[in-house]
Amino acid sequence: MNKFQVSVNERLGENTYKTVLKNGLEVYICKKQGFKKKIGMFGTKYGSIINDFVDITTNERMRVPDGIAHFLEHKLFEQEGANALDLFSKIGVSSNAYTTFDHTVYFFETIDKFKEGIELLIKLVKTPYFTKENVDKEQGIIGQEIMMYDDDPSFAVYFNALRAMYNTHPVRIDIAGTIESISHITKDLLYTCYNTFYSPQNMFIIVVGDVDVNETVKLIEENIKLYEKDYDKKLEVKEVTKYIEQDKEAICKKEIRKKMPVYMPKLCMGYKLKNVEKEEIIKRQVVCDIISDLYFSKITPFFEAEYNKGILSDPVSFDFEGTSSFSHVVINAESTKIDELKNDIHNYINKIKKEDVDKELFEIVKKKKIGNIIKDSDNLNVSYRRIIETLLEKVDVYTDVEILENITVNDIKSFLNELEDEKLVFSIVE
Amino acid sequence: MINCYKINDEKFKSIYFSVNFTMNSNEQEISQNAILASVLSKSSKKFKNQSEIEKYLNNLYGANFDVNVEKFGDLYNIEFSIECVNKKFLPNNEDVVKYSLKFLHSMIYEQDLSFDSEIVNREKEYILDRIRSKKDDKLKYGVIKTEELICAPDNFSVFLYGSEEYVKNTTSAELYNRYLGMLNSSCITVIVSGNLSGYDDIETEIKDIFSDANSKFSYNELDYDTHNVNGEKNNIEEVNEKSDTNQSVITFGLRVKDTTCDDFFVLNLYNAILGATPSSKLFQNVREKESLAYTVRSRFYRFKSIIIIYAGIEEKNYEKAKQVIEKELEDMKNAKISDEEFNASKSSIIADLAEWKDSKIALSKMLISNLFVYHNTNIKIETMIEKIKEVTLEDVVNVANRINVEKIFLLGGETNE
Repeated sequence: MNKFQVSVNERLGENTYKTVLKNGLEVYICKKQGFKKKIGMFGTKYGSIINDFVDITTNERMRVPDGIAHFLEHKLFEQEGANALDLFSKIGVSSNAYTTFDHTVYFFETIDKFKEGIELLIKLVKTPYFTKENVDKEQGIIGQEIMMYDDDPSFAVYFNALRAMYNTHPVRIDIAGTIESISHITKDLLYTCYNTFYSPQNMFIIVVGDVDVNETVKLIEENIKLYEKDYDKKLEVKEVTKYIEQDKEAICKKEIRKKMPVYMPKLCMGYKLKNVEKEEIIKRQVVCDIISDLYFSKITPFFEAEYNKGILSDPVSFDFEGTSSFSHVVINAESTKIDELKNDIHNYINKIKKEDVDKELFEIVKKKKIGNIIKDSDNLNVSYRRIIETLLEKVDVYTDVEILENITVNDIKSFLNELEDEKLVFSIVE
Repeated sequence: MINCYKINDEKFKSIYFSVNFTMNSNEQEISQNAILASVLSKSSKKFKNQSEIEKYLNNLYGANFDVNVEKFGDLYNIEFSIECVNKKFLPNNEDVVKYSLKFLHSMIYEQDLSFDSEIVNREKEYILDRIRSKKDDKLKYGVIKTEELICAPDNFSVFLYGSEEYVKNTTSAELYNRYLGMLNSSCITVIVSGNLSGYDDIETEIKDIFSDANSKFSYNELDYDTHNVNGEKNNIEEVNEKSDTNQSVITFGLRVKDTTCDDFFVLNLYNAILGATPSSKLFQNVREKESLAYTVRSRFYRFKSIIIIYAGIEEKNYEKAKQVIEKELEDMKNAKISDEEFNASKSSIIADLAEWKDSKIALSKMLISNLFVYHNTNIKIETMIEKIKEVTLEDVVNVANRINVEKIFLLGGETNE
């Protein structure tokens, strides 16, 4: 019998169960009573910013081409020439996969083929199949994907902001790499990355839906055993060594402007921050989510004024992004009067840093956030996102709910004062 | 009198209220409707500006209010919606439902009717921005342009936010008339979807609050597919538009002849086999086999009996992509569809339909769309699943032979390095 660690959230009427299998694989099950849909997800703590590491099979340090984690995601979701999306589709299950800076996940959604879905998901992720031919072919498809992103103004404005903030940290590189960098990817390099990062101790499985917890863990374990002959003999699990270079404190460039054929210019401002860890990362997310409403949403005099001046049509977004190796705030907006907008936001932030937080408004916003957390629990995708976020930081699943209920105006105030003018960058696409 | 429908499911924690005004609208009216929806969403007699609205909504535990415009084929729909949490789940069981409903009513019926020109001008700018930026997303624009090419002069061919010319010229007086048009010449549907436990009288309550609403048309009095196109088009027209981007977009505009409402199920399956799933012919051949595209899909338009195929490609591969797509369309006509393709597509549609039960909003959208197609019969998802199950390969091939390509569109890239 497996031992479970159970996280309960009474506000949401939801439980999340966690267990660690013998081989080090973490399994999370979020029970959602009454919902038809079930989500099964297999993930690895490996994404685009991890390019420098110790090869687990040779113990040698490696540097691999940019975009390989994403390339691997494409290739792994394939079996002997058949695309995984297609294989799932044939059993009536929809599936997808994506790569981020620090994790890669493969998942399926089903109503009544949960067992078949889990079987196929584990089979796919556990049986890599890379050949020279299928690597060459994928370079064509990913080439089209990269070109699609190159034409996307939102994508360009965001990555340019990252490039302005960071000097050397790999977060400044496109997740998919470049057409040039992916041309260096070979089947052997893919196997090296696979063997290292797709070892069970670096991975996790997440299930969300109305499932039986014990049965599900049994099903997962049985299927994992099919592909790991030494599963029962396993004595120790070896940690994966990843090297992520810390960026220097200063920004790289104050401003990047890019011309693109767009009618609506876009602005992305970034404040580079000092790195924090664990609960502090989740706390920054909650704080920024509140700041976004408290200072930039339609409720604010700032928005009203910008709206009446014809500068803003939709509110500015204010988001925190970070792991233990990078940390920043990104502010996104669009306007036909982009320079006025840029100056207005900049001056406004400097102004609110000096002022007291409006307590009444703060309480109203907090009330909304509590309502949102309840409403969001009607959406199963929110549950798995919360699990991923917290497992990467090794904190309790419902840390965000806990933090939200205890947040104060002082938390807001002190965070605003971490936004420094010297660490501010501007990216514009016009 | 209004049409009011309830969908109750206690697994949810919140409730979605949707008030729909569905009406006939030509290009000028569409342009005015877009401005109107935008103006109405920003203030009312009681709430002077967006900030007051937001404050009120935040106090209702962040109720989500939205005014959304949409085309149901040749008809135009303005939806006023609000989503709020059931009292069971709120601190001290605070009940926000009545306030949410009254709020929704006030945003429609308790408006400042002077339509102040300063406010109207600001919203006109907002809509003009939407129109002018429609080319910013190429794939989307490729699809919009194809809708326009294949459906002109039907109202459906007009862009969702109308045209620059009409928006610019709209006056406050015209907007007031359009407001009256919306209130008095629409089919009005109210849908409540979510956890209704503890709200047994919700229908009565809605009818009380919306007692001044009057639905002029019933579902069979409004025609969502006027199909003004004269005669059949046997020649395929190729249209080319230059664009200063890295990647190009190719689209195919297809028309289905002589459809009945039961063809909906067959066409859904046809579309799934052709290009709506990863096991589809287009995904397998254009993307997986030929590496021509990352995105390739086909979309079926229930209200207009058309299908649009779209893909992001390199311009130099235009002829090749065209050939591959044409071959797949021929294969559909010649019944070159494997059992595997057929069954996979069927189960994928059934799974999608079943999944809608997990979304309050999807359930509400499905319901209103069925009301227009089936005139008043309230078709359940289970019925739709049964109908999909009954579709045979022969049905699909029959429908395939009633489908013709009318337009092929290339939005060309010029800056290939």
